[in-house]
Amino acid sequence: MAADPSDPDVMIRCTGLTRRFRHFTAVDGVTLSVRRGAIFGFLGPNGSGKSTVIRMLCGLLEPSGGTASVGGLDVVRETERMKPLIGYMSQKFSLYDELTVHENLQFYGRLYGLNGARLRTRYDELVAMTHLAPYLRRRAELLSGGWRQRLAMACALVHQPKVLFLDEPTAGIDPVARRELWDLLFDFASHGMTLFVTTHYMDEAERCSQVGYIHQSKLIACGEPDALKRLPEVNPPGTHRLELECEHVTAGLRTLREVPGVRAATVFGRSMRLLVDTSVSEDVLRGKLADAGIQGVDIRPVGPSLEDVFVALTDRMGEGGT
Amino acid sequence: MSLFRGFRAILYKEFLVLFRDRFTLFLMFFPPVLEMVAFGYALDTDVRRMRTALLDADRTVESRLIVDRLVNTDTFRVVETVAGEAELTAAVRQGRVYVGVEIPPGFARDLAAGRTAHVQVLVDGSNSSVASSALNTVVAVALRESMARLAEAAGVRELPFEVRPQMLFNPSMRSPNFFIPGVIGVVLQISTTFATAMSLVRERERGTLEQLFVSPLRRWGLLLGKLVPYYVVSSLMALALFTLMSGLFGVAIAGSLWALALATGLYLFALLALGLLLSTRAQTQMQALQFSMVFVMPSVFFSGFIFPRDTMPPVFRAIGACLPTTYFIELTRGIVLRGATLADFAPHLAVLAAMGAGLFLLCVLRFRLKVA
Repeated sequence: MAADPSDPDVMIRCTGLTRRFRHFTAVDGVTLSVRRGAIFGFLGPNGSGKSTVIRMLCGLLEPSGGTASVGGLDVVRETERMKPLIGYMSQKFSLYDELTVHENLQFYGRLYGLNGARLRTRYDELVAMTHLAPYLRRRAELLSGGWRQRLAMACALVHQPKVLFLDEPTAGIDPVARRELWDLLFDFASHGMTLFVTTHYMDEAERCSQVGYIHQSKLIACGEPDALKRLPEVNPPGTHRLELECEHVTAGLRTLREVPGVRAATVFGRSMRLLVDTSVSEDVLRGKLADAGIQGVDIRPVGPSLEDVFVALTDRMGEGGT
Repeated sequence: MSLFRGFRAILYKEFLVLFRDRFTLFLMFFPPVLEMVAFGYALDTDVRRMRTALLDADRTVESRLIVDRLVNTDTFRVVETVAGEAELTAAVRQGRVYVGVEIPPGFARDLAAGRTAHVQVLVDGSNSSVASSALNTVVAVALRESMARLAEAAGVRELPFEVRPQMLFNPSMRSPNFFIPGVIGVVLQISTTFATAMSLVRERERGTLEQLFVSPLRRWGLLLGKLVPYYVVSSLMALALFTLMSGLFGVAIAGSLWALALATGLYLFALLALGLLLSTRAQTQMQALQFSMVFVMPSVFFSGFIFPRDTMPPVFRAIGACLPTTYFIELTRGIVLRGATLADFAPHLAVLAAMGAGLFLLCVLRFRLKVA
């Protein structure tokens, strides 16, 4: 993770980034780097400091300690030069409600110094990309969540930023809009744009090329999803993960939690995922379930999910006495 | 123009928002006009046709004559005739009349005999300005009647002294002429300061300000772009109010319109800059409202709008000297009522200009393109 500071391929870099509000430390010594063209998924519970990190990276908030740079420009000392490089889509999809879709786009275009033919061209591109054409004369306040998000996205992209920050872009929008947004994000990344996305959804995190997990102001995991899943903390020696399908899953769960050597068991729909000691064989599990009158057992070995990773790392942090 | 980067974009957006948001426009225009009409009529302190009760116990030609003389001043209007002293006092106490006039029995007899004839006048002193006006009128009537009788008795045709007062300005001495320019000053302050303060705070609340801060816009561009549209709207408002002043209240503008326009222009700039400055502090629209009210009250009381500043304790006079409204009211009274020229009021104009420039500069220097 400790990338070479002069690596031109690193678009976002934080070193010991810290922000205190009076006595409360919202962000505590966050160190991370994001490569050009990466989709960085930034996860963590509400109030863990995700938005504060984004705000510091966008030059909206001064860090109390540490340094950060975007596109090789320091977010504190070179804010003015950095701003044209970045786009920012805030949690609230900040739009001018009383203005129409057309006027919002025109305004943001002009704000970034576009005018005349350049504004027209870019405007047409953005409308085509977001399919906003039928809504151009509609006031922003009358748009549904998904369309508001598209408009906010178009506004954030008006100046073709190299780095796009999205703060919970999929909160509260329908699954179709959510999927379409991710399709767009992959498209941007394939054209070399770097994306920094906060989210609560684990399935979105799985799609990112890099993820970071922030818990109680500290970054406790950061890297490629596959690399995180291979961490020894996530895969304790002498254990393995199993997916188990059976009748009466909840009853089965209660039974298996009593079995010595079963460290964790969680239900996912009609199956459950287990972390068990390798000493406990599949037959032992089948036997216990049969004793409880549960049949139709099907067991497969599985790797850890990102959720498993974050749960394991959060637990470990709790044990560490912090 | 990189210092003002973003100015034209903000200008474009503000004009759209301002004219789209009919409700705010209505709130900017309607209350000032209403306040102006209300203040204009309510603040008419000219005391005329006061309700008066009469107790004429003499019932002679002479007693009726003195009553006529009082009524002819247009200060009194007899609305009640009572039979006894207790009834007269009760009429004043109960607030049915401001003044009670009692002519005791033997009034005509005393007059004829060359003795002092008495007229008793009861005045409700609870409203001091009305009371003193009533008092002055009755004393003047008594003096004039006495002088006429003495002169006649002495065979004198002409009185030894005569004062010939000449009202240079506001010859009819109508109080609206005095108050209306002040009303305009106060009313402009209420709506403009508030409107600009709100416009920036609303963006803060909605999160659009954060979106602006991420863009390469500069603070000069943002603040000037915010100020100019409100400057245009408030100028239109001032124009409407001055039109109302001369149209509805018949207050003619004695001085030059250009002088008035310059004074108003400088005043509005100071008010708008003040509004922006307040919005750099206020986090919510509620706070913006409260902050702007803080400046409204002193502007009503210490600016010379209602109470003359010369008679105020030094503290209040000093507060008044810090308010743009004070200078604007003195300027407009000078220009509208006395036909003063810009040269007569150069210091006032300079102070207003300095206040506007100072407040705006302070605002730009205080403003950070950061979230709190």
